[in-house]
Amino acid sequence: MRPDLLSRRARRRSRAGGYRVSELVSQVEEVRREWLEYAFATEPADRSTAEAVISEFYAIIGRPPPAFEWVGSPAAVRADIGSAAGDRVAVEFATRTARVRDRLERDLRPWGLPGEPGERTACPATARSFVDNMVHGELRRVVREGVVAVVAAEAGRSAVRWYGQHDADWVGWHDACARLLGTRRSPRDEHFLTLWTTLARSCGWWWPREGVCVVAERPESVHTEDWRPHSADGPALRYPDGWSVHAWRGTRVPAWVIEDPTAERISAEANIEVRRCAIENIGWEAYLDDAGTTAVGRAPDPGNPGCELLLYDLPRWDRPSRLLLAVNGSVERDGTRRRYGLRVPPWLDDPVEAAAWSYGLTGPQYAQLLRRT
Amino acid sequence: MELAQLLDRTGLTVLDHLELQVAIPVIDGLQAQGDLIIIPRALVPVVTEDSWARWSPVPRAGVELVRGANGANPHTLTADPGTCEWTIHVHEPLRLAIALIRNTAPVHLVHPEHGGTGIAPGEWVVRRQQERGTARFRSTSTLVCD
Repeated sequence: MRPDLLSRRARRRSRAGGYRVSELVSQVEEVRREWLEYAFATEPADRSTAEAVISEFYAIIGRPPPAFEWVGSPAAVRADIGSAAGDRVAVEFATRTARVRDRLERDLRPWGLPGEPGERTACPATARSFVDNMVHGELRRVVREGVVAVVAAEAGRSAVRWYGQHDADWVGWHDACARLLGTRRSPRDEHFLTLWTTLARSCGWWWPREGVCVVAERPESVHTEDWRPHSADGPALRYPDGWSVHAWRGTRVPAWVIEDPTAERISAEANIEVRRCAIENIGWEAYLDDAGTTAVGRAPDPGNPGCELLLYDLPRWDRPSRLLLAVNGSVERDGTRRRYGLRVPPWLDDPVEAAAWSYGLTGPQYAQLLRRT
Repeated sequence: MELAQLLDRTGLTVLDHLELQVAIPVIDGLQAQGDLIIIPRALVPVVTEDSWARWSPVPRAGVELVRGANGANPHTLTADPGTCEWTIHVHEPLRLAIALIRNTAPVHLVHPEHGGTGIAPGEWVVRRQQERGTARFRSTSTLVCD
């Protein structure tokens, strides 16, 4: 985000609060980049550090250090660990963490009273909301809703578990608030948060249980596109034990979508998201070719000389639709023009009418198109 | 004007495989750039400006009309100072219109993948492209983001 994207009012307010937004922006970006690096780290876990931190967590809830069990991936955890919903340690630790997080978040409020009674935070609401959006919001979107979501979907449900490096969203947020806004909290909470920060830099997911703690390694490779899990050739995440997750632009997909997408498999697939990803992977044109569909209509593309609009019937998936296949107005890097598919209502028989519909125009109106870039 | 000149004047950039030494035509009529279409206002009387519409001047550095799905690839409208105003306070039942433009000199629309195009003086409606939605029981459409 560029500083000049802030409204004039926000800039004025933030100056009044003692923060120069332009300075804050680069600092915030630096902290965020640091936390993204932790979240996407692919080195083997720092086992001794992780074990020391987790032992200290056990000490905080009055338990002796547990036995440690290391697994190669989040899917390798034993079934009895994953389903131990009523485990005392799991519950007590979750409660303790929730309580601390609650306090930390209360302290963050601009009208909160951290530190000495009566002393107000020196953190104006604008700078706060800025850190909230750029650090907490971004990390939550990228890490929690992006990476954790696809890995958890593949690994399956589990009773209380924590995410180590992938707890970066809330841990990194509190870290950013302390470093950039000078938020203060009690020494006990500070210590608790430091432990979380250290753990986020050392290991993957973990399952605290009575007497035993299972900890997973970090993935050994992660592929993304615009920070979303994505790989067009192979798994997006691969763990040291060989377990892997396939993802297409942030959506978890079965391996065939990436490795061997065919029209037959696409037509048989019930899940529309999976179908969309597979079609994106092979392209509408290849899909239609492969499926042996014939065009129900074709016409010259107005404003796009030498190019054709093609209209196809789609298999009756969810809503009856037709597909309009059009050609981009500008060339790709390799000199070709990309074809793209648009779903249109099934009652449109004329490709020009269909293209017109996509812009809310009538066929004769769209036929007047002078240029497409 | 050539694309290279336009980029110089505005500070915008396009992908490096696009031809820079090419004259940008100024179009007086319907034209499309990717998922946006520029429509003469007289052609779509159904599009109205809100009574509270506030028009803002378009600077040379440009205003972003819309950004792509991944936050990149904006369509940027750029104009010489004092020649063009725009507003987003626009109303229509289809909800495709995102802005109105009125200009007294040619203005340009720049996109990193599609390059540049000129818009002749006049009043224009900017609409996005829609696609048929996939929800079974709702008759909604979704907007195209390229």
